[in-house]
Amino acid sequence: MADFPRIIDDRAASRFLVPREAFTSEATFEREYAAIFDRCWLYLGHASELAEPGSFLTRKVARRPILFTRDKAGEYHALFNACPHRGALVCRERKGAARAFMCMYHGWTFGSDGHLMSLPGSSGYPDGFKTDPQKQMVHVPRMERFGDFFFISFAADGEDLATYLAEAGDYLRLVSEHSASGMQIVGGTQEYAIRGNWKLLAENSFDGYHAACNHSTYLEYLKNANGALGATPLSGIAHDLGNGHAMVEYTAPWGRPIAHWVPLWGEEGKAEIAAIHAALEARVGSERAERIAHRNRNMVIFPNLVMNDIMAVTVRTFYPTAPGYMEINAWALAPREESEWLRKYRLYNFTEFLGPGGFATPDDVEAIEKCQQGYASGGDGLVNDISKGMNREDGALFDDEEQMRCFWREWDRRLAAVEA
Amino acid sequence: MMLVQIPDALLLRLAVEDLLFLEADLLDQWRLDEWLALYTPDAHYNVPPSDVDGDTADPDKALFYIADDHVRMRERVIRLNKVGAHSEHPRSKVRHLVSNVRVHREGDAIHARSSFIVWRSKDITSDAFVGHYLHRIIEADGGLKIASKTCVLDMEALRPHARISIIL
Repeated sequence: MADFPRIIDDRAASRFLVPREAFTSEATFEREYAAIFDRCWLYLGHASELAEPGSFLTRKVARRPILFTRDKAGEYHALFNACPHRGALVCRERKGAARAFMCMYHGWTFGSDGHLMSLPGSSGYPDGFKTDPQKQMVHVPRMERFGDFFFISFAADGEDLATYLAEAGDYLRLVSEHSASGMQIVGGTQEYAIRGNWKLLAENSFDGYHAACNHSTYLEYLKNANGALGATPLSGIAHDLGNGHAMVEYTAPWGRPIAHWVPLWGEEGKAEIAAIHAALEARVGSERAERIAHRNRNMVIFPNLVMNDIMAVTVRTFYPTAPGYMEINAWALAPREESEWLRKYRLYNFTEFLGPGGFATPDDVEAIEKCQQGYASGGDGLVNDISKGMNREDGALFDDEEQMRCFWREWDRRLAAVEA
Repeated sequence: MMLVQIPDALLLRLAVEDLLFLEADLLDQWRLDEWLALYTPDAHYNVPPSDVDGDTADPDKALFYIADDHVRMRERVIRLNKVGAHSEHPRSKVRHLVSNVRVHREGDAIHARSSFIVWRSKDITSDAFVGHYLHRIIEADGGLKIASKTCVLDMEALRPHARISIIL
């Protein structure tokens, strides 16, 4: 008997099945931490979030409290946010600017690079205590950046970030090319939770099949608000980007700030969008500009970075704290040089679809939570079907399930590779 | 016997409270079309996230949970009245508690600040949204109309809540 629920991937018979136990088992959940979250490159943050030397933010990544800092020389550091003395959280703020971080318990004080600057009552310690490597805040074993996206890995060894990202790297670049001056995270974070297994959100984030049914009210709203131009059909293909990363790329009826105008935004904005389109063409060439402006991309970078370049650009991560519960953080990414008018409509677009108060995400949440509840019907051998499009010979469509199969094959491969 | 003189400020607060309690009642009863009719045609309805100053944040500059103009408030009601709004069909049980109402006039507008707890209960879960309302109210058609409502969550994150699929 396998010691974790293995997927069934039978290409000859176009059969792809995932045991529901993968979503409910405590043992599998802990194995995922050992095999995936403690091994893979995980998204930490965006350079624009630490715009100034001396700035910092705190964030939980894969259950661990992380302090992400920029020192006065401008260097970035990812530290475990725990005091080497007794282990208390050193920084208790969400974000800000600081020359030093003082632990509130006994007053040990650390620099932005984690080194111990001072401690009260140092006469009670032997010489050399302050510079002892074990008395410094601990750096996350690895941190790398790809453009302005920072990733960390809790594994000291393994492939470098660019190798890990494989073809997904080019799509991170494509998102960066929305701007001539660089992209930035817009202030305001959507922080919520779903009572469902984290892999359900990975699947849902690039599921092109569910829109017509699950999001019928959103699609009707677009038609209502945009008239005939809201009729651009949902149509496109899926890409395997390697290493478990995958994407769907497609046309859709909503407007895109880069640079697909819709009537809902008003006639006044039409010329501005046209100018952005022309500048984009001049900068990246007409073929790439066509893709950036008129194609939508939902990408999942394994295991849990969602980069959806749709009616707005969302960066989203999510971590399980139990098999049936995950915490989600979502941000909006936008060109630095964007006008006030367009920024307004970008955010209007974002909240229209995305997030806990949008016209679509709540129904995704409903679907995920109802899946998790359905799994309680139990019984060994119950499986989810992820085979749609396996029988096609000319490539998977955006509303097939090939992108999810890419995720699951990597999940299966990584879980098989560790000792239970 | 001498009647106690009720100050105008108190009368104003009573009138505003009456409006806020009516709003809460309509939302609890899912009478959403009547709820929308309490608002002016240029109204806004906002719910900022927890990591910005919700009292002052601008939905055109920061990412909110909800940033509706009147068009989208109307569309929100249309959507919630449909069976296809899966998150709220079957409908959840909703209870709005509004208290600590403070009111002041500023030019033609009345500004009301109040506390809320909104309970949403459905099948296995029951979640409480806690925060304060900022209502901007104007006098129109011989009565009071709401020109904007901001629901500032006094919460660190929307957890374990997965959604604001009801109207706060």
